[in-house]
Amino acid sequence: MDQQGAGGDVEVPAGLGLTAAEYEQLRPTVDAHHRYAVGEGQCSSLLAQRIHAPPAAVWAIVRRFDCPQVYKHFIRSCAVRPDPDAGDALRPGRLREVCVISGLPASTSTERLDHLDDAARVFGFSITGGEHRLRNYRSVTTVSELAGPGICTVVLESYAVDVPDGNTEDDTRLFADTVIRLNLQKLKSVAEASTSSSAPPPPSE
Amino acid sequence: MAEICCEEAKSTPATAVAAASVSATAAAAAAVAVASSALERRRRRLEMRRFRVASDPEELVAEDVRAAKRQRLARTLSGSCPDAGSDSDRPALPRYGVTSVCGRRREMEDTVSIRPDFLPGTSKHNFFGVFDGHGCSHVATMCQDNMHEVVADEHTKAASGEETAWKGVMERSFSRLDEQAASWATSRSRDEPACRCEQQMPLRCDHVGSTAVVAVVSPSHVVVANAGDSRAVLSRGGVPVPLSVDHKPDRPDELARIEAAGGRVIYWDGARVLGVLAMSRAIGDRYLKPFVSSEPEVTVTERTDDDECLILASDGLWDVVTNEMACEVVRACFRSNGPPAPAARPNGVALPAAGAGAEDGSAVVKGVGKEDSDKACSDAAMLLAKLALARRSADNVSVVVVDLRRGI
Repeated sequence: MDQQGAGGDVEVPAGLGLTAAEYEQLRPTVDAHHRYAVGEGQCSSLLAQRIHAPPAAVWAIVRRFDCPQVYKHFIRSCAVRPDPDAGDALRPGRLREVCVISGLPASTSTERLDHLDDAARVFGFSITGGEHRLRNYRSVTTVSELAGPGICTVVLESYAVDVPDGNTEDDTRLFADTVIRLNLQKLKSVAEASTSSSAPPPPSE
Repeated sequence: MAEICCEEAKSTPATAVAAASVSATAAAAAAVAVASSALERRRRRLEMRRFRVASDPEELVAEDVRAAKRQRLARTLSGSCPDAGSDSDRPALPRYGVTSVCGRRREMEDTVSIRPDFLPGTSKHNFFGVFDGHGCSHVATMCQDNMHEVVADEHTKAASGEETAWKGVMERSFSRLDEQAASWATSRSRDEPACRCEQQMPLRCDHVGSTAVVAVVSPSHVVVANAGDSRAVLSRGGVPVPLSVDHKPDRPDELARIEAAGGRVIYWDGARVLGVLAMSRAIGDRYLKPFVSSEPEVTVTERTDDDECLILASDGLWDVVTNEMACEVVRACFRSNGPPAPAARPNGVALPAAGAGAEDGSAVVKGVGKEDSDKACSDAAMLLAKLALARRSADNVSVVVVDLRRGI
């Protein structure tokens, strides 16, 4: 990721779609969770999505390691591998097997839950196997609230991944960013729909 | 190997009907045997048991019943033959054969639609369509159910049967199906079964689409409209004539169109729009608009006496079988089925036998009786599907063969 100068003006990464003031609020989150030591033959990227829904509602969807199809495209089915020690608890180390819909350059993906922090709203997973071309893929998604008028939640999703043989960094970033951008747009639709459909609680006097 | 066997079939004398049948069978066996070791033969026998093959109307009806019982969402085929009871009122059926097999794919997402005499007020126009779905089957199923009606409606509105009108008719029809796909989730009637992707998350079906290759066959012309990478090929005097050109993202004019619209094509298991979809045109796929367009390319081809057959098929066939090979297989099946012997049609209707006497010395078999054409076309479609499977096609395979020979 771009290195930020110490102090002075903040430079917002290109294509992120955030204002400088917004990015300044999010910088601690970016510094803590969205930076990668990317070596040769790898690339990384950061995407953002504004959502007009309470951060708690958005987080409730993002954290579902067992049911990513609620907000992710292209998933035909998902099964979390049984873990006798964990029971139903979702905690780091759990694995899920994702089957992908037809027509895409992937058919299955084995994914490991790396982080699930309900207090900080940080979700991380990595891809450990499956039939696809994304090697050493790891990803972090954070849900943050922006101060200011109206409800504004910002979801940041970042990843690092190997660049496959025969492709460029640009190719790899285009493919992964396309999928993530579509997923974040769906997350926005789902979260805003679920928020607007619930009746507001009566005001207490 | 398959080519050699087909050559053998081609050289069989017309008078040796039984020998020709044996050769055709040998060609089929040889096609299956291509690249086959004993181990692979056993594996393929196991795999073949899983394949669902539908190649005649009775089997299609049975398969529809089984599909309904198992609540399967993907339908293989529609457009069965009319009832025998209405024979006297029914114009002659088109001579066609059709096969659809699931193959190596986990799901069957191809559909085929065959609608004889589908234009109200205009006789002898037959509709054939092959739709190869991706992401889910509901867009392909929608095309199967609705495309012929939309084409008929647009044809009526065009108020003209002239050649030049067909381009507009097809473009408007594909556009309407594309709109139907986009609004499918919200406009679906209650009694339609929910498809798999809707069960997971309603109203989020933007990533579902289908190819569409459609042919309207009239006594004088063949009209083809295509969006995607299914294909229509005419066999004329033994020479394949493509009636459609596959919409692959790296086709130079498609690549230019996509990039002009601000999209990109990258090679990610083949050329893909944004690295995601391996075709540049399709019905549906709203999430990739405007890069993936539903506008069809339309050809209008005047029929000639040299025309032998029309083949419509999904890329499960064309990825592993050349146009030349496909036409050879059909011609071999036509030869092996002629001269005709009186036979009942698949739907049980016996038509008058063709006049006696085969044409001697003709390299191209013509004048085959109607009662035999269905068998020849069905044999050809089945053999093509088997050839595709033997060549390890990785996809659903759907094949329609239409007999265009003129005769009695």
